Amino acid sequence: MIGASWTILRRELAGLFLQPLAWALLLLAGLLQGLMFSSFYLPGRGGDVHAAGLELFGGTQLFWVLAIVLTPLVTMRMISEEAKSGVLEFLLTSPVPEAAVVIGKLGAATIFMALLWASGFLPLVVAALGGVSPDWPHLFVAYLGMVLVSALFCAIGLASSALFSTPVLAAFVAFLGNFALMVSGIVTLQLADAVPEDVVPRAWIEWVVDKFDVVARFQVSFVAGVLDSAHVVFFLAWTAAFAFLAVGLLESRRWR
Amino acid sequence: MIEVENLTRRFGPHVAVDDLSFRLEAGEVVGFLGPNGAGKSTTMRMLAGFLPATRGRITIGGFDVLRQSLEVRRRIGYLPENVPLYAEHRVEEMLRFQARLHRIPRGERTARIGRALERVGLTDRRRSLVGSLSRGLRQRAGLAVSLLPEPDVLILDEPTSGLDPIQRIEVRKLVLDLASEHTVLLSSHILAEVEAICPRVLIIDRGRCLADGSREELVEELGGGGALVRVEAAVLDAAEAARLLSSLPGVETVEVGERVGIHTEFRVRGEGDLREDVGALAMAKQWALRELSWERPSLERLFASLVLGEASATSVPRTVAPTAAPEPTSPISTGLELSVSGGAPTSAPSAAPMLNPFERRPDASSSAGGAATDGAPSAGSRAERPPGGPTLNPFERPRTQSDAPASDDGTDDRTGDRADEEKGA
Repeated sequence: MIGASWTILRRELAGLFLQPLAWALLLLAGLLQGLMFSSFYLPGRGGDVHAAGLELFGGTQLFWVLAIVLTPLVTMRMISEEAKSGVLEFLLTSPVPEAAVVIGKLGAATIFMALLWASGFLPLVVAALGGVSPDWPHLFVAYLGMVLVSALFCAIGLASSALFSTPVLAAFVAFLGNFALMVSGIVTLQLADAVPEDVVPRAWIEWVVDKFDVVARFQVSFVAGVLDSAHVVFFLAWTAAFAFLAVGLLESRRWR
Repeated sequence: MIEVENLTRRFGPHVAVDDLSFRLEAGEVVGFLGPNGAGKSTTMRMLAGFLPATRGRITIGGFDVLRQSLEVRRRIGYLPENVPLYAEHRVEEMLRFQARLHRIPRGERTARIGRALERVGLTDRRRSLVGSLSRGLRQRAGLAVSLLPEPDVLILDEPTSGLDPIQRIEVRKLVLDLASEHTVLLSSHILAEVEAICPRVLIIDRGRCLADGSREELVEELGGGGALVRVEAAVLDAAEAARLLSSLPGVETVEVGERVGIHTEFRVRGEGDLREDVGALAMAKQWALRELSWERPSLERLFASLVLGEASATSVPRTVAPTAAPEPTSPISTGLELSVSGGAPTSAPSAAPMLNPFERRPDASSSAGGAATDGAPSAGSRAERPPGGPTLNPFERPRTQSDAPASDDGTDDRTGDRADEEKGA
């Protein structure tokens, strides 16, 4: 299972980097991160390299925008295009469980996203070489949080890719799913303001929202520099749930 | 090795595979034949475990395809019809990926990849991108990929499509070579190929098994009266000659074909090779022979008769009798020709059956209908009238043919209408 996943992961990663899209995304992300850092974050923070660096690593809304837009682009082709070209038929008749296929693809997409976010380290490395070193462990924790959030979005993207046969449709639906998950917490809390306290206690709503509010979780833990296993498990659990959904959808393809 | 029991697959209301059962022993090479849409690929996909069956059971090497899917997948090499390979990889990389998927030990990988490439003759293209390969080379790359793990069972869906004739011969050799170590099930719609490669043939149409057996067996059982000897000779009286020919031992039917110049064509059907007997007869009667050839009953003929004549052929495999009733729905009904030869005394075109390119059991229908109309002397034999002058005109043939059954009710227009109606029906 692990060996098979690893084989698929390597294949997928190679496949990603054999396509121009991956390089274009990396280039864009690198340019954007560097530009934002030097033109906005650093001046905005009055030259505080660490504070500006933290804004690169999830401190601003830009991270969420990039995450919900870029992950579908990475995952959209992974299953839908293979289903179309027939390679999926080859893959699903080779001695590899479906779960290994999904895990391998999820791993490859997540590693790619991790590489993409790692471009945020470039301006900081330059700053560090210039003598101003940020608080590295804090940034690494934030980076880990970004990777975990990306993994969750990639799992949603894979499920969507398993469901639809057109990559573009898969990407769009994955984007909608990511967006819904991202704003659901905030929107629910806003709506909850209209609910009288004696009908549904506010605490109940907050308890429920806490179980799916990815943004708040990310902000209170990783961005704050706290590596809390509860939050790590929260993201891993949601990722696993969507990966499981993707496996189910992949298996259901046979029946369609 | 492969056991298929009552396999059924539906796609919504459409039944792609309908209650199919067959067995393959280890080491067998079986050809899977059928027209487009017969359910060949669907069956193969189910065998490979890609599609689940609606009903029925498949076991490969003793493992259930659905329940012990991974065990089965380890033992099969499946090459789908469209040869799915990652276009962005090189041939060698693709093979290495396959080797990893099948957990071929690291040390053996390079050697086995080299061997697989050599087997399909792609060694010089190992560094080529799969996406840049031509259709035939891609097909061979796919074959190499499915051969690499040395599976017990090879399921090849149209392995020779898109290949040039030389490559085709190579693939044929390859499959024959594989037959010693593997069980091979291959599908094709090229009959000559299946004939050349596979000792055993499975013919399916509309999801049902029409025939199953060795080529010789099938031809003998279902071919409808063995071999055909074609004779072209200059004879004075074709009917008399036909009578003489049909009196030869072993002859089942004699058809009188077209008359070209002074030569008349006869088609003599019977047991085995009748050329010598026919030749001896021709010598004795001093007919000037122009052609004397033996047509071995081919799979193609059998296939056409099975698939096209499915209505008359029975749905139960292996029991298609040569005396099956003629198809009633056929626009060019064999019944028509018979009433021509029997009922109408005028120049009746004996070449009417020639219109039917597949010659579906004209002998059987002739024996049945002939006896009814004019009390033909012996069942199974067919003594035709000599072809009249106007039959040489090809345009006249359909008219005289449709003329005959409608001879009671007059004019040509009405007979034409009636013929149309019959066609419509």
